[in-house]
Amino acid sequence: MNPGGAPILLSCTEIAKSFGPTRALVEASLEVRGGEVHAILGENGSGKSTLVKIVAQMQRPDSGALVVTPRGRSLGPAHRTVATVFQEVLVVTGQSIVENVWLGADGVFGSPLPRRAKRRAAAEILHRLCGRELDLDAPVARLSLSDQQACCIARALVREPDLLVLDEATSALDLQTRDRFFDLLRELRADGMGTVFISHRMDELLGLSDRITVMKAGRTIATVDRLQATADTLVRLMTGGTRDERTADRKPPAIAGRPVLRADDLRLTRSSAPIDLALHAGEIVGVAGLEGHGQERLLLALWGEGAQSGSVTRLDGTKRVDRLRSPRQAARSGVAYVPRDRRKASIFAPLSIVENFAVTTLRADTRLGLISPKRRARRFRGFQERLAIRLGRQEDAITTLSGGNQQKAILARWLATEPEVLLLNDPTRGIDHGAKNDIYDLLRGLAAEGAAIAMLSSELEEHLTVMDRVIVMRENSVFAEFSGDSLTRENLVSAFFGVGEEVPA
Amino acid sequence: MTGFRAALVRRPYLIAVVLAAILLAVNVVAMPSAAASYWPGLIANLAPLAFVAIASTPSVLGGGIDLSIGPQVVLSNIVIVMVLLPAGIDSPWAVIPIVLALGILIGTINGVLVALLRFPAMIATLCVMFVLIGIAQRLAPQPAGGSTPWIEFLTSRAGLFPIAALVIAVPFAVWLVLRRTSFVRNLLAAGGDPIAATSAGVPVSAVRLLSYTLGGLFASIGGLMLTSLLRSADASQASTLVLIGLAAVALGGTAFTGGRGGLLGSLAGALCIFLIQNLLTALSVPAVWINVIYGLLLVGSVVLSASLLSQKNVRQPV
Repeated sequence: MNPGGAPILLSCTEIAKSFGPTRALVEASLEVRGGEVHAILGENGSGKSTLVKIVAQMQRPDSGALVVTPRGRSLGPAHRTVATVFQEVLVVTGQSIVENVWLGADGVFGSPLPRRAKRRAAAEILHRLCGRELDLDAPVARLSLSDQQACCIARALVREPDLLVLDEATSALDLQTRDRFFDLLRELRADGMGTVFISHRMDELLGLSDRITVMKAGRTIATVDRLQATADTLVRLMTGGTRDERTADRKPPAIAGRPVLRADDLRLTRSSAPIDLALHAGEIVGVAGLEGHGQERLLLALWGEGAQSGSVTRLDGTKRVDRLRSPRQAARSGVAYVPRDRRKASIFAPLSIVENFAVTTLRADTRLGLISPKRRARRFRGFQERLAIRLGRQEDAITTLSGGNQQKAILARWLATEPEVLLLNDPTRGIDHGAKNDIYDLLRGLAAEGAAIAMLSSELEEHLTVMDRVIVMRENSVFAEFSGDSLTRENLVSAFFGVGEEVPA
Repeated sequence: MTGFRAALVRRPYLIAVVLAAILLAVNVVAMPSAAASYWPGLIANLAPLAFVAIASTPSVLGGGIDLSIGPQVVLSNIVIVMVLLPAGIDSPWAVIPIVLALGILIGTINGVLVALLRFPAMIATLCVMFVLIGIAQRLAPQPAGGSTPWIEFLTSRAGLFPIAALVIAVPFAVWLVLRRTSFVRNLLAAGGDPIAATSAGVPVSAVRLLSYTLGGLFASIGGLMLTSLLRSADASQASTLVLIGLAAVALGGTAFTGGRGGLLGSLAGALCIFLIQNLLTALSVPAVWINVIYGLLLVGSVVLSASLLSQKNVRQPV
């Protein structure tokens, strides 16, 4: 393959994009030629999905230039210049397979292709992808998830695109289907189609791509030829090439206390590998991974919700042992979960700060069955000082607080239940630096008092500075675990992308 | 049962069809003597409710709802009786185009509010409903008579054949034509999974807008039938028709989450409600209980179809 001489299909120059105060893309440039598979690589929050959405023309850049030059061949009537396949399996479940393959190709009333041509094209591509004949008129809901995603891929390919964008599109495919798809992709590449490829599997990236663009913190920092790239060089590029030291104020690794929560043979999905792990008193365990690899599922499962099989056991110091089967039971045995989405899953927006604090512990404030506001206020004041919650009056609406102070109030809500196990789902997401440090201090203090804390974080930095031990999740199971000297940026990122994993046959 | 369930997945209107058949049988048994006058007029009497149900269906299929269908039917009835006929406009070649155009206009206003301006469908069409009821009451403060022979012909019979059946067939003919185009497929996709539909390039806003226009068109034909049956203008029925029409849609197996169902189910649903109404009246059940029975029937059928379809409709997690 010699993409050097092929025509340029896509050229992005210095693209920037912000969402409110968040700068998702600072300066991204990308060039894709006909007949190449161009991979984009970066860890969470590096901006790759935003770049892909801009390339797929689903979002408009704030600044910068995006030029798409079609190949200029003779085109079928259903042709699209850019076709995208997403990680989510976007099928309309009420419709048939062939309807899903051709979804969106028609106008409001008219169809560019006769029915028979559509059926033929759909049957041909699905046969290549699934390796068997599918009943085109069967409801798509009857297919396996992998075959449904094959329908989405077929939907893109029947448009005969000049540029195919794959946004983690292969994660729902089973291995055979994926291999068949890659074979097909190689043929289309030889025909001159360009592909933008995002995958969370380093082996896929290295096996398929011709060039790789690495992103970090909203910038495209390098484009390397596949022949010059190894997993190690790519990880080094993603992490910035500095072998970082762990922050100075980090306490020495805690001596693990007794186990307080144990998971045995826990399966997060029907097909994922089982997980065995234990949380110990006095430790902060990070839950890391690329987005969507089951980190949240793990926390919820530890809280007694949503596991497919296996057990979670709460080990109390007093020899009491509880099997956790529901969040309600978890709460009763001293396991608290703080959800990720503050606005939707934590806050009661119409209520005041102190009411939001007290909802889990109303009983503590009652006298003769009636709530005593004085008692409630006194109780909250203790937490207010400890968490350094900055507020006007306790009775103000919770929405008057900054994100960081809202999160602190929510933490106070759960701390008031005096949990021994605290499960935190990205508690510092989108809050300011000062509030973050307050929360880190709080967590360290709680751990020192003997609480066991498991914390999901999408920020690498947090894993390196706050955690005693970090679990890296891949495909809904534990892929690796790091602590002490092995807890480095490069080890984490390598594990995110499955480097060191055996390549499946 | 699994066979029925499989059939139900393909044809969600089956519950209503089976129920309507049972009710017809019960009607025959309960009112053997009524046959002479009752049966031939059945379809004509059913027509207004059938049109409300049919006109409510397209927007629901597209994932929306149109609460103003009942008032639209009533308004076109009132415009005919209180505006067109007194002004000397009584030729079918003038009245029908004017009424249909009015229906298309109101439907399109709903469509623009919901699909283009993105107001929540429930709120937007509720507002339109109140406006239409207001206009109707302004035009017809109290019931007033008025009709012409050709309008009365619409609910009469040619021999034993009810003309109303032909009029009810009109929206089905329109729908069948639309099914041959990509419109219905697009509408079901937009209602079934808007995210998937949008990402695949389905013109979601356009088909949703047109679903309200189509509802308006069908509602205006319903207004003609209501006029033919009442031979007068009456603004009082507007708000009850809204809810009974939507009940018929739900009974007909159309999912209120969008993407599943069709006109035939709504017709069968309307027939069920109509037959129950007749049956209960014939058995001299007090009117207040009739509403309670509608409610129970609706809950029962929704629960039944939801529990029969539940496994098929769950989206598998990625």
